[in-house]
Amino acid sequence: MIEVRGLGKSYIGQDGGVVQALQDVDLTVADNEFLTVLGPSGCGKTTLLKAIAGLIPWNEGDIFIDGSPVRGPGPERSMVFQNFALLPWATVLENVAFGLQMRGVGKTERIERARALIETVGLGEFETKRPGELSGGMQQRVGIARALAVQPSVLLMDEPFGAVDEQTRRLLQEELLSIWEEHRLTVVFITHSMEEAVLLGDRVVLMSARPGRISEIVPVPLTRPRSSDVGALERSGKYVEITAYLWDRLRDMHEERRPAKAGR
Amino acid sequence: MTTATTHRRARGAATTRTGPVEARRPCPPRRLLGANLPYQLLTFAVFAVAWEAYATVWGGLLLPTFTETVGATFQLLGTAELWQAMYVSNQALVIGFAIAVVIGVPLGIVLGRFRALERFADVYLNILLVTPMAAIIPLLMMSVGFGLASRVILVAVFSIVMVVVNSRTGVRQVDPSLIEMARSFGATERQIWTRILFPGALPAIMTGIRLGVGRAVTGMVLVELLMVSAALGGLILEYRGLFRAPMLYGTIVIIVAEALLLISLARWGEHRLTRWSKATTARSTR
Ligand SMILES: Nc1ncnc2c1ncn2[C@@H]1O[C@H](COP(=O)(O)OP(=O)(O)OP(=O)(O)O)[C@@H](O)[C@H]1O
Ligand SMILES: [Mg+2]
Repeated sequence: MIEVRGLGKSYIGQDGGVVQALQDVDLTVADNEFLTVLGPSGCGKTTLLKAIAGLIPWNEGDIFIDGSPVRGPGPERSMVFQNFALLPWATVLENVAFGLQMRGVGKTERIERARALIETVGLGEFETKRPGELSGGMQQRVGIARALAVQPSVLLMDEPFGAVDEQTRRLLQEELLSIWEEHRLTVVFITHSMEEAVLLGDRVVLMSARPGRISEIVPVPLTRPRSSDVGALERSGKYVEITAYLWDRLRDMHEERRPAKAGR
Repeated sequence: MTTATTHRRARGAATTRTGPVEARRPCPPRRLLGANLPYQLLTFAVFAVAWEAYATVWGGLLLPTFTETVGATFQLLGTAELWQAMYVSNQALVIGFAIAVVIGVPLGIVLGRFRALERFADVYLNILLVTPMAAIIPLLMMSVGFGLASRVILVAVFSIVMVVVNSRTGVRQVDPSLIEMARSFGATERQIWTRILFPGALPAIMTGIRLGVGRAVTGMVLVELLMVSAALGGLILEYRGLFRAPMLYGTIVIIVAEALLLISLARWGEHRLTRWSKATTARSTR
């Protein structure tokens, strides 16, 4: 379980001004829940995720994972990056094994576990290729395999499919769903896409900007498993209704900001 | 358009294909010399003929012909004197350059990682870069003497700048999100250095080493010329004193050949170690 209590985080901007990236963020993510986070650009989604990952310090509040406070990165959490963050000099196998290596897993076991995950994400033939030889979708499969290899209970994903094309993105969404249905882990998934947020999530966290806070949490009462027939799901009334609602709310947020900008 | 996938499948198995030919890495010997070889041979031939003609018409005691020089070069290669000199000179080169690499690479990485240090280091790096190094030779001789030590130090001082500056640039070019990624998997600071910063900077480090080798050879010869020693520089001075121009030129030819060989070796190593970076970064190819 992830508990975020009264989280506040401000950055000192380059001009010396203070940017309140997060304010009073309270959030509880249940075990094995798939939580998606949606919000306008710059509302602090990445900041929230990095704080949970233990990669950045914050100013106020606390974060607990299974009751113990977050002081830095931990073995129960792993992360998938928007720009993939693969080592360009290492092969697919070495990249997938990287997290295990950092955690001191021995070579034979490391390779064995990495190979199994490379199979899971369907990259068996590409084990010895380097990232430069792979398409964006394949690179993110490597990123996902690397994150899963360390057998996390919490998977943190920052717009993982933001940099891949539409068709690949749909395939990856289905694959992620079936991986999650099989492995059962807690996922916090950041996205810009309302459709993606609804398709994947048990709940959608809507964030608003300046200061970044949670404006609403929208439950998604769609049946699981969803990976088997994504198409039918997308045509269902509930799916359409929730995405429309999310867009209404997001448009309000954008509209609130527009006159303020024009007035300046 | 269906061919795209078949190509991928067929890669390695079949070698025939249609359409534009994929840029291929030439095998090592060709890569060493490059595709410029025919042009280089041509200019060299023109140069040799011009030299021969000029020296035959106007040459004398001080200017040997091309053929005399070639003859003298081979003659030199047969003498124990040359190999003795080569041994002594290269001792300084090898030790000095090794020191430059062993100190320069970590120093460059540190400077790249901790930018605050820049303020302290920059001025010294600039001094090393622009000072005519010959000027410090008398200084060195006064403080360290005429022995191996001062030659080693000079070679190291000559070449270390290239290694430091390029390693520093290399570290700066490493994608910061890779460091963040490593930290998210619990990497220690040491692991970040060895697993991210060093391999990420390696292409630039190798460039620095290649440029450093050139400067190391310069340093090696210069110090011997100015310090009068038993090594290659000493040979040059000796042949000059005896007005044996062909031998003098032959010695220089051998030094140039050694420098070219070392630089080619460094370039080859650079290509071998850093193939991955070809696609991702465009670096200077000086
Ligand atoms: N390192 C930093 N220094 C200063 N300000 C920062 C820094 N990182 C983020 N910010 C600011 O904090 C706010 C939130 O940034 P964050 O990256 O968390 O937003 P986001 O919701 O992930 O945006 P996007 O959807 O564009 O990825 C933004 O206004 C941003 O400009
Ligand atoms: Mg972001």
